[in-house]
Amino acid sequence: MPSLQHPFQCLRYVARESAGQSDLLIATAGAKVYSYSASTGECLDVFPSAYELAVSDDLKSPPGKRRKLSSPEQKDEQSESADKGSKEEVKLTWSNIPLLIVAKSKYVIFLTAEDKCVRVYSLSGNGQFVKESVRTMPKRPSVLALTPDENDILCADKFGDVYIIPVIPSSEYKRTVAEEKEYTPSATNLTVHTRRNLESLEQQKRQAALKKKASVETTALNFEHQAIIGHVSMLTDMVSVTRPADSSISHPRSYILTADRDEHIRVSRGHPQAHVIEQYCFGHTSFISKLCIPSWAPDVLVSGGGDKHLLVWNWVGGQVLQKVSLSESETDISVSGIWAVSINDTNNIFVAIEGSSQLLCYTLENDNTLKQQETLQLSGNVIDLVSISSKGSIVVSLDNLREPNSTSVWRSSPQALLETFRVEYGKWIPTEDSVVSKINDKDSTIVEAELDEKTTKSLNEQLYGLSVLRKNPAWD
Amino acid sequence: MAEQVPTKRQKREEYRRGIQAQQETEDGSVVKMPQKKFFRQRAHANPFSDHNLNYPISPAHMDWSSHYPAYVDPDTLKTNLAGARQLTKNVEVVDIGCGFGGLLVGLAPLLPDTLMVGMEIRTQVLEYLTSRIHALRTQQQNLKNKAAKPTSTEAPESTEQPTEMDTSDDKAPVPATDDDIGTTKIFPGNFENITAIRANTMKFLPNFFGRHQLSKIFVCFPDPHFKARKHKARIISESLNAEYAYALRPGGLLYTITDVEEYHHWVLRHFQRQPEDAEKTEGEAVHAPGIKDIWERVSDEDLAADPCVRVMQFETEESKKVTRNNGKKFVAVFRRLADPEWSSS
Repeated sequence: MPSLQHPFQCLRYVARESAGQSDLLIATAGAKVYSYSASTGECLDVFPSAYELAVSDDLKSPPGKRRKLSSPEQKDEQSESADKGSKEEVKLTWSNIPLLIVAKSKYVIFLTAEDKCVRVYSLSGNGQFVKESVRTMPKRPSVLALTPDENDILCADKFGDVYIIPVIPSSEYKRTVAEEKEYTPSATNLTVHTRRNLESLEQQKRQAALKKKASVETTALNFEHQAIIGHVSMLTDMVSVTRPADSSISHPRSYILTADRDEHIRVSRGHPQAHVIEQYCFGHTSFISKLCIPSWAPDVLVSGGGDKHLLVWNWVGGQVLQKVSLSESETDISVSGIWAVSINDTNNIFVAIEGSSQLLCYTLENDNTLKQQETLQLSGNVIDLVSISSKGSIVVSLDNLREPNSTSVWRSSPQALLETFRVEYGKWIPTEDSVVSKINDKDSTIVEAELDEKTTKSLNEQLYGLSVLRKNPAWD
Repeated sequence: MAEQVPTKRQKREEYRRGIQAQQETEDGSVVKMPQKKFFRQRAHANPFSDHNLNYPISPAHMDWSSHYPAYVDPDTLKTNLAGARQLTKNVEVVDIGCGFGGLLVGLAPLLPDTLMVGMEIRTQVLEYLTSRIHALRTQQQNLKNKAAKPTSTEAPESTEQPTEMDTSDDKAPVPATDDDIGTTKIFPGNFENITAIRANTMKFLPNFFGRHQLSKIFVCFPDPHFKARKHKARIISESLNAEYAYALRPGGLLYTITDVEEYHHWVLRHFQRQPEDAEKTEGEAVHAPGIKDIWERVSDEDLAADPCVRVMQFETEESKKVTRNNGKKFVAVFRRLADPEWSSS
């Protein structure tokens, strides 16, 4: 049986030429992060490295049964001794890495999904990962973004909160220990009246007398952080953007746009004034999954989600500029990616539909509307995309495991992980790239040969999870 | 077997069908007030679940015309984005979690020219309030008709004179029993200025109201969510206060009242900086900017002069219940200040 590889879930291109270093392509696949040389395609480093696995406790899953995934800061002596005997059989506490961003062309920031850890590694001159920090968030993050100065990470989660944490935590941070207060039930017999409520109040009082000490707040985070925005809904995407000074504003203004499952796009001011909500962009009728503000047109927003159309916005004024139809058919679609690519004076917006092998291509016209261009056909479902302006090309990562246009039917033989297109006279044409060919040739994370039904199902869900965001109209 | 004795549910359904029929006929005969006992519902709803809510795509898509028929703009050409007739004025006051609507009915004659809406997530309670408002309006209409008939020489406007109101007891602007309200006197505004809609405001408040549209928001006896695990479901939090600040205009007021002391402190903590906040920065008295900069607590003197506070303390259903049980009531009102200057960073 041929060995199957995990597709690249996230791709990032790190331009470092100005710093006199070679460019890198950072990619996540399965539970790993790869650093490739962008000039040769050589794999420079892999996270987690064999060395890290051997010494670091926070990468390994704890032995035996534990009710919760413990935070990696908690050292467990037992696991250390137990793991010594079985080094080859190390199981990680996570199975995929769904979020990846790069700050200052130096810091790779990614989320290991199951243990909710935001991990920061710096890139060495020869493209290797150097561990900086590991921070466990209170809820599973759904989006990572950066503040305009790239000094802080904005971390949005499934509970609707946005936290701001520094890329490099300051060493001085001291956890503020809340004074231990005596626990007293907040209800009294003046506020609860039914027999059952009164009984449970009595019980609470007895408990309080026994315990004396209040239980220490378990959600307290032991690193510098601040909650700055909150929705009562699952956050699905977030963009941090700065409007340059112009005739209407004397100073540049920074904003944070957050999108949620309940059709809202909220426009807040940037940190430290993120508590001021400036605007809502209303118009979607299903969940929103992607926001995209092109760097060359910072007043324009393209958004998509569970609707059969994209919306193009003047987001500062909250006005819809254009509704772009994506599908005429009855079946539901979900937008899984929107990318703005500016190469050789061609300004393109690319759009991917979840579980589709087509990459829709638009140009953003001068009147800030989208004009459809020829669709790009790929050999597998589109997952992520990066543009490499120095080469005038885009690299698209594909689902090499499943049949094109299917989210569940697996191929019998593996396919290429990446495909390249280059622009010629405004048209995108497939092209060969020796770097990409080299990456394609090399095996990345190998999927276990025996795939049972449960594993394939969870792998499918990791890559194609947008449909669960849709609301069930029958339920009340 | 069990069919012989009608179940509680059957009785309720039958009763509500009757109310429905009464609303549809509108023959101007005696209008009966709905009875609360047929509309009671568990006092909690999960604010995080989807329910089956109807909400407008945006404030410009909201059809208010059926809610305030007396305020519909006579110009039929004036319609909003959803094609609904526009009103002559905007809704300005919101009661979040209005329950059986005691506050709205109490406020209606106090602010007769202000459009007010109650928002409630529980369907049965909302149904009661809608029937109640409908009945109140019909009764007022009947009274106005009666008053106009015997002295047809008088100008019709004079029937609306609020002299009766002014002479009534100052402490109780509205009769004590709900069923008597509106049956004997003509009230300013004739309850045409209040309505109720089903909504989950924690998720969808901005779908109904634009930026700085509101002048007052009331949060009366909110679900206390005693367990610490459930505190995320509380209607007051720093992140929700940012949304309230978006909907309220600068100078607008947010009223809170609760009978749970701990919740009162929670409210204060989420609107105002506490002495312990300063200690965090160790010696430095500078605070990071935050939502608490936008709110200012209203002084007790100002509250004493505000008739809305009295209605909140004595007219709402919950406040009456608390009074009956000799409970305490904790009031806190906050003024929304202007947004800070844009930071120049």
